[in-house]
Amino acid sequence: METPKVTRRTFLKVSAGTTAAIAAAPSLVKAMENDLGGKDFDPVSGAERQAIPVNCHVCNIQDGAIAYVENGRVVKLEGNPEHVSTRGRLCAKGNAGMWYSYDPDRILYPLKRVGARGEGKWQRISWDEALTEVAAKLDAALKEDPNTILVKKGRDRSGGAWGRFMNTLGSATVLNHTSVCESSKKIGMEPTWGPDIETPDFANTKYVLNFGSNILEAAYFHNPLSQRITEGRVDNHMKIVTFDVRVSNTAGFSDEWIPVFPGTDGAVALAMGHVILRDNLQDSDFIETWTNVTVDALKAHYKQYTPEWAEKISGVPAGTIERIAREFATTKPATLFTYRGPCKHLYGSYNERSCMMLPIMTGNVEKQGGYCLPRGMGWPQPNPEPPGPKHPSYLSTPPDYPLAAHKVSHLVPFWIADGKQKVNVYFTYQDNPVYTNPGARVVWGKLFRDEKLIPYYVAMSSHMGEETALADLILPDCPYLERWEPESMPNSLWPWLGIRQPVHKSLGESRENRVMLRDIIHKLDPDGARGMKKFWDFKDGEDYMRHHFDNVPGLKEAGGLDFLKKHGVWPIYGKLDPKSGKVTDKTGREIKAEYGLYMKELSATDMAGAAVDGKGVISKNGKAIGVRRGGKNVVGFPTGNRLINIRVDQWAEYGFNPMPTFKRIPWHESMKEDEMILSTFKLNVHKQSRTAAVKWLAEIAHSNPAWMNPATAKKLGVKTGDLVRIETAVGHLVTKAYVTEGIHPKVISIPTAFGHWEYGRLATLKLKEKKGDWSHGADDPDLNNVWWDDRGVHPNDIIPVVADPIGGSQGWFDTVAKVTKAGPNDKYGDSQGDWDKHYAAYKETMRYAYTGDLHRKMHPEMAAWAGPESVKPKAGGGH
Amino acid sequence: MSEELRVSPIETRGVAGKKRYAMVVDTRRCIGCMACQVACKAEYDTPLGVNRTWVPYKVVGTYPVVKKQFLPRLCNHCDDPPCVRNCPVDATYKVEDGGFVLQRYERCIGCRSCMAACPYNARFMLPSHRTYTPITNVVDKCTFCFHRVTQNMVPACVQTCVGRSRVFGDINDPSSEVSYLVARNATQVLRPEEGTKPHVFYIGADRNQTEFGRDAYRKPEVMDLDRAAFRRHFNI
Repeated sequence: METPKVTRRTFLKVSAGTTAAIAAAPSLVKAMENDLGGKDFDPVSGAERQAIPVNCHVCNIQDGAIAYVENGRVVKLEGNPEHVSTRGRLCAKGNAGMWYSYDPDRILYPLKRVGARGEGKWQRISWDEALTEVAAKLDAALKEDPNTILVKKGRDRSGGAWGRFMNTLGSATVLNHTSVCESSKKIGMEPTWGPDIETPDFANTKYVLNFGSNILEAAYFHNPLSQRITEGRVDNHMKIVTFDVRVSNTAGFSDEWIPVFPGTDGAVALAMGHVILRDNLQDSDFIETWTNVTVDALKAHYKQYTPEWAEKISGVPAGTIERIAREFATTKPATLFTYRGPCKHLYGSYNERSCMMLPIMTGNVEKQGGYCLPRGMGWPQPNPEPPGPKHPSYLSTPPDYPLAAHKVSHLVPFWIADGKQKVNVYFTYQDNPVYTNPGARVVWGKLFRDEKLIPYYVAMSSHMGEETALADLILPDCPYLERWEPESMPNSLWPWLGIRQPVHKSLGESRENRVMLRDIIHKLDPDGARGMKKFWDFKDGEDYMRHHFDNVPGLKEAGGLDFLKKHGVWPIYGKLDPKSGKVTDKTGREIKAEYGLYMKELSATDMAGAAVDGKGVISKNGKAIGVRRGGKNVVGFPTGNRLINIRVDQWAEYGFNPMPTFKRIPWHESMKEDEMILSTFKLNVHKQSRTAAVKWLAEIAHSNPAWMNPATAKKLGVKTGDLVRIETAVGHLVTKAYVTEGIHPKVISIPTAFGHWEYGRLATLKLKEKKGDWSHGADDPDLNNVWWDDRGVHPNDIIPVVADPIGGSQGWFDTVAKVTKAGPNDKYGDSQGDWDKHYAAYKETMRYAYTGDLHRKMHPEMAAWAGPESVKPKAGGGH
Repeated sequence: MSEELRVSPIETRGVAGKKRYAMVVDTRRCIGCMACQVACKAEYDTPLGVNRTWVPYKVVGTYPVVKKQFLPRLCNHCDDPPCVRNCPVDATYKVEDGGFVLQRYERCIGCRSCMAACPYNARFMLPSHRTYTPITNVVDKCTFCFHRVTQNMVPACVQTCVGRSRVFGDINDPSSEVSYLVARNATQVLRPEEGTKPHVFYIGADRNQTEFGRDAYRKPEVMDLDRAAFRRHFNI
């Protein structure tokens, strides 16, 4: 047993030093506040720990972080105080990120399946054996058709390495996880104003409308934006109003929580727009100057969306809609934020657009305290670059969803089962659809177990996830603290570049993904004869990074990659002030962001050879580069016509309503009295699927009882802890109830991240079982203290697929469920789904696609549309 | 006890020439993210089942008018700490300059008197298993991050606080941020009736004086099952 070695004598020395400083500068009115970060010390020995700047990657907010290393081990993580967005702070997940590396059940060696798929029998093999096997399979696939090589990647932050890899192979079959994330939000925003996300200036605003985002727990960009929300709320006296089906921490923090029936946020937003336009509270000048519709046209269009109409649909009283609309329109500056609430529905893209119309029509765009464009930075790719694939892939550009630019990956199992495209080699990276996608093990589990459909499956993973467990070959990937990766995220109003760098040698024989991809190509083309090797001429991960960063203007002068290795981020905008927690410049004042990006003037060079048309659109070489407004040539918005498109003409080509609109989910209209909507959500301490084995997070949240309103519970005769049976069209599950006032009475809601059946012994609570043959992490004695015995029940088996016909997003919150008290044969944890029923749901949802038979019925206002045959199929079946 | 680590029987709030560290927890800014709790776990390799700081919450109101309240908790580093008075072996002591209430692990006999004496439930017994720290089976507690503060750093929970709900500093210095916050806002302390003179000040926890203060100890029923599991595991 050791005593702290920091003695009182040391303490007095430190105090004496401080006192002396004050004495030397008597005019100093500021107190000597303790520093907010940048150093860490061992509490027992007092020794200073080694600080290595990294970029967090527990989730995708991409906070700047510092890893503190002691005895070769990361013992502490904290925010990087030099990072303008993060300002020295990390969330609970970020603080626990080292357990990705030190999970006792981490995979550290290449593994080959020896039993049947999913049987759990593995043989450790050498890297050379593994790479030889993969290369042989790729070689055979390339001979048939490069597109039979498929990658489905989830949280890919490889900085373009995966695109390079697939282009090198010539395959277009690149799938992602965006359709189960927020894709319809992106598709709602992109044609409207350019980028796929907004950056609300929460710190300087006076009013926030939050539609269905749980920003204080999970959404983009949790930590940096939460910091600004508390600042705005307390220091700037803003008001925040949250529309949600349940009291998330965000709704609970808000000045008002307004419960709304699932999927009807768009109707509420449209009705608010109606009030604003009816009462003439819009910013007419902004609408006329910067959008593609007139105020009169907008007023005429919004006439139909009365508060009474929205009340009937959403349950939000017309009086509340009127009041909030007027508050929003008459308080300046005001902003708005959305996340999955509005967009994860059948017509989620419409909902998103209806919401973003509010800051647009009130002229709050790009104002201090308003609704701002995201600020990001790019980095160049190493040369030479491989050419793109020769042929499009059905799976990555499905012809029935031509507008879904972020893909419709959650329908892929059905398309593969239907024989739409052959797969020879299936790669997965940072993806776990067997757990995270609708249908979960019932759909994706069946797909991966079928060796006819997926003949060869390679998982690149550090953990035995639900999906990895079904692989033929596992290549041991490195968790984020052992990787080189470039990074940038628009997570504040200041753009930045950052890096991840290994804090120590990768454990076991694990290899970082970029190196692994290079090794595969080198095995496939050892002498360069196939013309592939030249695209992968990197010594190691660091060398690859130099190709990205050593020639970025500005950064190059600062030292390129070496600067980033030392600081983790560039540029450094100022110093973190210990008194205010804000970033200050040399004068001690808080740094200010730039606003009004769309009004930036074009230079004479830009204008050389440019032409201006009758509407003021400035074009050069056939591309719009700006607009002329008020005699000035400015950049405008990053859209095709450099304006905000309130009317999206491209949508009308496919028979979708080009104006802000709302479509009620047809099966919600015919719900029976005893039916409810099943929704899911994320908690503050977990992400979707990868944090269940992180002990500090699992201790805080390890089970997921279903939230229900006391009125509902009373009807069912259940109380907190009682078992309930939740039945949907595709299956049923049995879980516990949590009765709370904080949820809409027609909604039952289950958080995800729980109920794992793979992911190691902590996630599955099988700690007494022997370590698997595949597991090689070091034991953690602290796991003897795991006291909880409930791992929860995962809901995705019983959630059917729904695809937004525009944005392609999964309708997570559209599921109708019947909830009853559990019967005598129901056991806690039962979860049963049926492939045929899931398949029927897929067939049903495709009827809403622009090629489907329900499309026209859902769009009577588009009666003049000439039908799907009128739209010439674009090359590649999509965009 | 060595001269260097002399117990102070003296209250140091307002004493000239002495530091008196305090924390302000502005509950208006707390978003319940749990970053503080996890940062603290990492800083001290705190084992599962025990916490130096934690964040209880409460859902208040009736549908549809509902709010969620968080009350971050930790040792109050009292100016008159009952744990110090009740320790039979002087293992628990107060640092005169700074006001930290600390624990000397090599003196602790694990009698739990201090745990019983603390009105805030801020102390706990370390289990036998830890990841890498060899200090086990003695009482432990929040130290106000003595080892960081003496190096002029804020405590780990303050460092990572996303909402900047936790602010730390010398309340004996009138121009410090904590002095400013305490002077300019209505603040509360937990269980003032115990006469412990706590040095964790809350802003916006005014309901804490009434039902909320007690409710912080009366855990929500949703945790009943977890509590039962906890007792089963530790044979309580």
